[in-house]
Amino acid sequence: MKFSRNGLYIENYTKCTNCGVLIYEAYSKNHVYHEGKIYCSQWCVDWKIKRELRTQQARRET
Amino acid sequence: MDFVTMNILESTLVSICREMGIVLMKTSYSTIFNEALDFTCGLADMNGDLVAVADYCPAQIGGMPLLVRSCLQEIPTSELEEGDIVLHNDPYRGGLHTPEHTFFKPVFVDGELMGFAVAIGHLAEVGGMAPGGFCGEATEIFHEGLRIPPVKIKKRGEDNIEVWKLLLANVRTPRQNYGDLRALIAAVDLGEKQLLQVFRKYGKSKVRETTRDLLLYSERRMRAELETIPDGIYSFADFIESDGIEDRQHVIHVDVHKMGAEIVVDYTGSSEQAAGPINGTLGVATSAAYNAILHLTDPSIPRNSGCFRPIRVVAPPGTIVNVNFPAPEVGGNTDTHPRIVGAVMGALSKGVPNRVMAAEGATHGNFVFGGTDAETGEYFACYDIEVVGWGGRSFADGNDAVDSINGNCRIIPIEVFETRFPWRIEELELTTDSGGPGMHRGGLGYQKTLLCLNEQITCSQMTDRHLLAPWGLNGGGEGGKGATLVQKSGSTAWQTMIEAYGKRSTSRYSNVSIRKGDRVRMRTPGGGGFGDPKARPPGLVAEDIREGYVSEEAARKLYGYRGELK
Repeated sequence: MKFSRNGLYIENYTKCTNCGVLIYEAYSKNHVYHEGKIYCSQWCVDWKIKRELRTQQARRET
Repeated sequence: MDFVTMNILESTLVSICREMGIVLMKTSYSTIFNEALDFTCGLADMNGDLVAVADYCPAQIGGMPLLVRSCLQEIPTSELEEGDIVLHNDPYRGGLHTPEHTFFKPVFVDGELMGFAVAIGHLAEVGGMAPGGFCGEATEIFHEGLRIPPVKIKKRGEDNIEVWKLLLANVRTPRQNYGDLRALIAAVDLGEKQLLQVFRKYGKSKVRETTRDLLLYSERRMRAELETIPDGIYSFADFIESDGIEDRQHVIHVDVHKMGAEIVVDYTGSSEQAAGPINGTLGVATSAAYNAILHLTDPSIPRNSGCFRPIRVVAPPGTIVNVNFPAPEVGGNTDTHPRIVGAVMGALSKGVPNRVMAAEGATHGNFVFGGTDAETGEYFACYDIEVVGWGGRSFADGNDAVDSINGNCRIIPIEVFETRFPWRIEELELTTDSGGPGMHRGGLGYQKTLLCLNEQITCSQMTDRHLLAPWGLNGGGEGGKGATLVQKSGSTAWQTMIEAYGKRSTSRYSNVSIRKGDRVRMRTPGGGGFGDPKARPPGLVAEDIREGYVSEEAARKLYGYRGELK
């Protein structure tokens, strides 16, 4: 979340690219950048890859 | 872990939450609180984790942890003092939708922050372009009422007068809102008082340790439940028929990834956010996933943040399940929310077929209106919940005429409704054949006809299922669709909102001017059926016919009924 300099309003609502949770960078200890995009945690970076693999595997099995 | 103390403490905390709700109900001014019970009360620990909650509105139960967490990121605990109460309704900062106002009060013991008392309530009037807050034609958040970031409405026990003045200057019913806001404050005041007594009785360290154990216990119970569902990817898609602005359907897509004792609810593939007010917020997407899973697991698991830990939610930003600023969102919590719950349950019906019901009506009707009362000269506004049929289940028929799955609210009794508002209810009855056919029949929706007694009432609505019926399951048939019709004074014709007022949608419209002698008729959707209707025992079909649930014609056509009627 990007607040204005005076702290009175929000200039940008920052959300995790994958799961969509709000990221208050001032308080977040876990957020990461990956390929120029912000993620709330490494789990979300990994999930994008894992989801694709799981979906492909499920398609093969059916 | 001291299991006995943990059980006693858990029951005590839940009782406090229930008592908070009773205070809210008894002290509020609006029918949405004192009759419909559209609120929830809970207690959180010092980290903002939910430790206990009362069984009022499920939408708000699942939304509470995210709400408290968002507030604490903007007002850190170091800035909270004894007697403070924080108010918040911003849907883009953890809220569910604009009308839902969250109050939380820090609880200090010997100067140390030990927890929070939390109350969330749906205010009947929030300003914006339509009385009652549900503007079916909104295209941006600013049409939907006053948005409140986390602010202190009370500081060190004293009213923050400037905040009160701002709040009450921006609504049509300041006296009502004042009473309702005071009722929410009374609820968190009571929560604080009762929680302090618990700390005095057991001591700080005992309460802290026991609530930590309680959350771990719920987590273990939930993980054990999830273990019983076969691993796999379960997918489902459901459709919302229109957003009131564009004439197109929007898809809610869900993939439920079940992996051991954990579950990921992933909404990737859902439609981009809509132009109209059907968008869900992150709070909605999260709460709906929790709600669905709570419905499918052991109801004796204590409801707290612990049971949500094994559940991850992936709600891509900018979609119909996680709206980005400044798109409209008010219907996201009332229509899209239950549809998301239904989609998650629909997906899991392939893993746990006997635990999932067919689709319910999945709308709260959301008929809102306002005007100036000719007798009192005071402006009135009302949010009127319409109830629907629930889906048939593997073991029973669906429930008739109950609030949608995320609401658990009551309808306003006719006597109260007619006393408070200038309408006469001429008809309220279950709709024959609205329950989807099935071995276990869907529950029935109802039909309600209102006669306008005021010179003029401004009406808006935000509902669904006028075009797309609730789905059946395991061979069960679809439930009946809903409808809203108007009969103008002096006419015998019943018209849709498109026909009568040139609106874009029959189910989502704003600021229709209903005049004295006009009638509004609302028919709500029924639930889908479960299982092959031909397998329904003929005795039950005969009883359905006798009771008026099913017509003889439908019984013969859909159920294959061949019996004679006595």
